[in-house]
Amino acid sequence: MASTHPCTAFNSTYHTFMQLSKGWVVLSLFCIIIILSGWAYFSDPVETGTYQFTYPSNFGNRINIPEDNPTTKQGVYLGRMLFYETRLSANNKLSCGSCHQQDKAFTDGKPFSEGVDNVPAPRNAMSLTNLLWAKKFFWDGRAEGLEAQAIIPMTNPHEMGQPLATSVKKINGDKEYHTLFKLVYGDDTITGDRIAKAIAQFERTLISCNSKYDQYLAGRYQPTPQELNGIKLFMGGPNPAKGIPGANCGHCHGGPKTYMELFHNNGLDSIPKDAGIETLTGLRSDLGRFKVPTLRNVALTAPYMHDGRFKTLEEVVDHYSDHVIESESLSTVFRGESNEVGGKTLKLTADEKKDIIAFLNMLTDNTFITDPRFADPHKLIVKN
Amino acid sequence: MKKFITLLSIVALLISSGLLKAQSVKITGEVATPLDLKLADTQQYKQTSVVRKDRDGNDHTYTGVVLADLLAKAGVTMGNDLKGENLTKFIAVSASDGYQVVFALAELDKSFTDRLIILASIMDGKPLPAGDGPFRIIVQDEKKPARCIKQVTGIKIQFAK
Repeated sequence: MASTHPCTAFNSTYHTFMQLSKGWVVLSLFCIIIILSGWAYFSDPVETGTYQFTYPSNFGNRINIPEDNPTTKQGVYLGRMLFYETRLSANNKLSCGSCHQQDKAFTDGKPFSEGVDNVPAPRNAMSLTNLLWAKKFFWDGRAEGLEAQAIIPMTNPHEMGQPLATSVKKINGDKEYHTLFKLVYGDDTITGDRIAKAIAQFERTLISCNSKYDQYLAGRYQPTPQELNGIKLFMGGPNPAKGIPGANCGHCHGGPKTYMELFHNNGLDSIPKDAGIETLTGLRSDLGRFKVPTLRNVALTAPYMHDGRFKTLEEVVDHYSDHVIESESLSTVFRGESNEVGGKTLKLTADEKKDIIAFLNMLTDNTFITDPRFADPHKLIVKN
Repeated sequence: MKKFITLLSIVALLISSGLLKAQSVKITGEVATPLDLKLADTQQYKQTSVVRKDRDGNDHTYTGVVLADLLAKAGVTMGNDLKGENLTKFIAVSASDGYQVVFALAELDKSFTDRLIILASIMDGKPLPAGDGPFRIIVQDEKKPARCIKQVTGIKIQFAK
């Protein structure tokens, strides 16, 4: 290439002209370099191909990906753009990321989030973590699959408050989205269904598996004596006759994922203000029954419960230890489990409560809450 | 008299539930006829009792329908048909709280085992307690009660792949 450089011939033929315009050439070259580097930055080619999920083998492979929405690298990127896209809301100010903030393990720290009309949501915004293993979404499990879930807050008048057709219209003028939709779906048609599918793809990648607890399970972290006792209490049931203390949390929050997709009435009220799953099924046995949420990053996801009634983990543990309220639909796991012979509630000691909280803090995953792959891509462009 | 007591217990259960809506059990999957059984429907089948210990450590008498009878009614490959690839079939039992357990079809079939697995609705002569019923699987002689799944809502027959 060097020996046939076009500039050599150009120079010898138009020597005089070149001398006059040398300054211009340097300037032009400079401009071209600037433009090229800018183009290279903005069109930073989106990676394509099958997305490889990475997680520890003890999480198991009982994962949920619908056949009509396979996870691709380009789909995940588009989903991430849309997850943080404020144009998907009626006032152009809210995105999924408004109530699901990465630094709070995709929650927003409020008991009830406020939507475009400033009306508080009826239930607490849930953490988005390890959804790849979840089948039913929302506190009452009413959405089967992430694709169906994603549409509901986008279109709910008290959340993002905008019909999908309007969202499609709003981003239809954006060239970058057309390029991305083509890359993901083969043609650049933007539809509500495709928006939901891409967001679901991104959400499936939100995997938290590098907490101290994961490191302990992998043999890479030695817990403190307090943490170790916390694990024992958390996972085991009480047996006062044999003098074995336990909190039995693992009955519903057990396993390496600390998530089992269960729905229970955990004795918050005798007559619940929010009927929970009963509203859907009409069955009295579902009264006050809600999803047992993941405990991943639980130290970051306050306030707690479907109505955000508990501000701290101490309040949560106190509830399960001392304040579970009996009712007809109280789940059986809370009946007659106590650390005292014949006791009605768990009755943990102050130290046992602290130990359990030490374990709960082991579930915080700093890699997850700082992972740049989960961050707002629009902000990254603005910052640069 | 027995029928009257049964009827009475159904009525009691309906009243205690507060709503005249009751949980049913759906039998689906590899079946000839899907079933959606309410408590009254299961009373039409032959009732069998099994005695086993619960978590409280005490023996209880559970009464209900032998699961194989319900599966046969749905046209599941039991008895003479339970051979070849049909031996790769299992049932996934689901509860209203999301809990699930599985049994291989052969675990339920009389030509393989005498151990009874029933869909119980009565415990010690009374409807199952609210947190356990209206339907609970009772596995005779199994040491742990973990597969005696409570508040059963569905039974799906599937091939292992």
